[in-house]
Amino acid sequence: MGAWIAAAAATGLWLLLLLALAVATRNPDVEPGPATGELAGQSPAVVDLITGDWRLCDEAPSATLLDLAARGVVAVEEIGPELSLVRLRGEPGDLRPYERLVYDHVRSLSVDGVVATGALAEGSRDLGRWWKSFRKKVIVEARAQGLSRPRWSRAHALLLGVAAVVPAAAIGIAVAADDARHDGGPGAAIVSFALLVTLMGRLNGERGTAEGARAAAHWLGVREHLRATGRFAEQPAASVTIWGRHLAYAAALGLAPRAVRSLPVSTPADDNRAWSDYGGMWHVVNVRYPSRLLWGRPPGATILRGLAAGWFTGFPTWILLVVAAAFGVWPDGLVLPAALAVGLAVAGLPVVRAISDLGGAATVEGQVVRLRRFPDGGKANDTSKWTYWCAIDEGASREVRAMCLSEEMWLPLREGDRVRAVAGRRLGWIRRVDVIEGSRLRDAATYDDTGEYAVDAPENLGEVRVLPDRPPGAWDGPADGRRRPE
Amino acid sequence: MITMIVVLAVVAVLVATLVSVYNRLVRARNTADNAWAQIDVQLKRRYDLIPNLVETVKGYAAHERATLEAVVAARAQAIGARGPEEQAAAENMLSGALKSLFAVAEAYPDLKASANFAELQEELAATENRIAYSRQYYNDAVLTYNNAIQTVPANIVAGMTGFTPREYFRAPGEERGPVQVGF
Repeated sequence: MGAWIAAAAATGLWLLLLLALAVATRNPDVEPGPATGELAGQSPAVVDLITGDWRLCDEAPSATLLDLAARGVVAVEEIGPELSLVRLRGEPGDLRPYERLVYDHVRSLSVDGVVATGALAEGSRDLGRWWKSFRKKVIVEARAQGLSRPRWSRAHALLLGVAAVVPAAAIGIAVAADDARHDGGPGAAIVSFALLVTLMGRLNGERGTAEGARAAAHWLGVREHLRATGRFAEQPAASVTIWGRHLAYAAALGLAPRAVRSLPVSTPADDNRAWSDYGGMWHVVNVRYPSRLLWGRPPGATILRGLAAGWFTGFPTWILLVVAAAFGVWPDGLVLPAALAVGLAVAGLPVVRAISDLGGAATVEGQVVRLRRFPDGGKANDTSKWTYWCAIDEGASREVRAMCLSEEMWLPLREGDRVRAVAGRRLGWIRRVDVIEGSRLRDAATYDDTGEYAVDAPENLGEVRVLPDRPPGAWDGPADGRRRPE
Repeated sequence: MITMIVVLAVVAVLVATLVSVYNRLVRARNTADNAWAQIDVQLKRRYDLIPNLVETVKGYAAHERATLEAVVAARAQAIGARGPEEQAAAENMLSGALKSLFAVAEAYPDLKASANFAELQEELAATENRIAYSRQYYNDAVLTYNNAIQTVPANIVAGMTGFTPREYFRAPGEERGPVQVGF
């Protein structure tokens, strides 16, 4: 018992040390500066970081693209209320690493140098990795400009790491003393040490420097100026032609939600609204995933399910009618015919559709616009069974019903592949699919996430708020609906 | 009394349905009109670029009078065209004339090397691309509108209130399928 009390005391002391260091390394207080229209030297992405309590909000990539448009690297053109284009304009010249990341994404999607703004969410990139790479690059620039630094210095990390040995050893000793037969002490000590170090790592993050606080105060002054002088909230992305870099900074400061929404650079692609470049021009395709009652199953399985459904409705009906006939409320001669009619009616539709598909499968040729898999019934946590969906844009309609296929056929496919599929149009089941032409997105420009900044910028950088409560009156991060990625 | 209430309720439901359908048709028609206006903007942009182009070519190849006059005439005809069908035909002719002009330019190295000519060529290519997107946007809007006025029960309301089908802005023959922009 004494060993456990000692272990608890050691752990408590270590946690107190962690808390004390967290308080000592909290972000500086930022008081908004006087309203000004003077744009300082930082890029919109860095401004997003330092005015967002040193945590990058997901407006940053869109603001970066707007900045590229304002500088003439790309152009944003409005075709209609629901259609705008991003057009590449010549060689971009020297770009910052995160600007290059955004530019490469746009370029990878462009057809004849053009991509619809809504299509910026498309592509085969791993969005989580892309976002981490973007964030790391922004943080590196902020650090290079002296605006930001890691929460834990090497001394802090060393102190906490060495100090964590004490509670870990105490826990190990307590376990060993408690259960001498199993010799679990060393293992418990190692696990405890790992947990404490992990906690320390989770509380790591970016914190502002004094220079960073001054810059943030200036930009909050700019924010006040932009809020007072321009109606940025209603401006579309194409208005960057008029507003120039002011719109990019307004977006980074959370003042231009419409422009940011229309440039979904760091947003996952919508399951139901896909952008397709089949035919050479980007266009919207609405994708539906029909109920699987009579859709998305192989013909054989559908026939069996239909027959089973017919039996399980026809047989109870027969029993019910036999009882009804015994009480004289149903004519004896109609018991069997009526039960058969009910069973056949229930079984008929799926069986007829399945036979129709067996006899005449159609060839579907087009571009894969959505590949999704969804849990197939079962318990909420049971994700062992999946339904695999594939939506193919044939170029004939803006509405597409996704069809199902087997996992083996689904796995090699990629969105953007040109395919020829043999499928039943009544049951929505793909029997065979051949890739005619691989997605050009497979060979798209890659992005640099090779971990060049892994030591200085661990994955959780800028994600954890250690001390949520700030002194009254101090700037408390973006209270304007700016979002941070999950 | 009950009969009266039932009749009033049925009339109210009918009126509400009519208003709802009518408003939906008006929205679809306005979307199509807006889409046509967007095409108009892009076409005007192209018309504005052509005189500069003709002047630039004239500076290097003044004796290609026939080609230049064909472009000017096609432009005038396109400006005067009314309605999607006529407009599409005129634009097709203008595109052909421009192609001839750019083919002629191939024979004049000085003209090809001119920065002004290159800029105009690039600007025209970008405008062609915007016209193609505007046309797609317009045709999608017309499809939605035409579907709305031709399907039951909206066709009854459309017939009573004067909604008529719109024409598509047909792509010139060579631009069907994947779009290749450039001259």
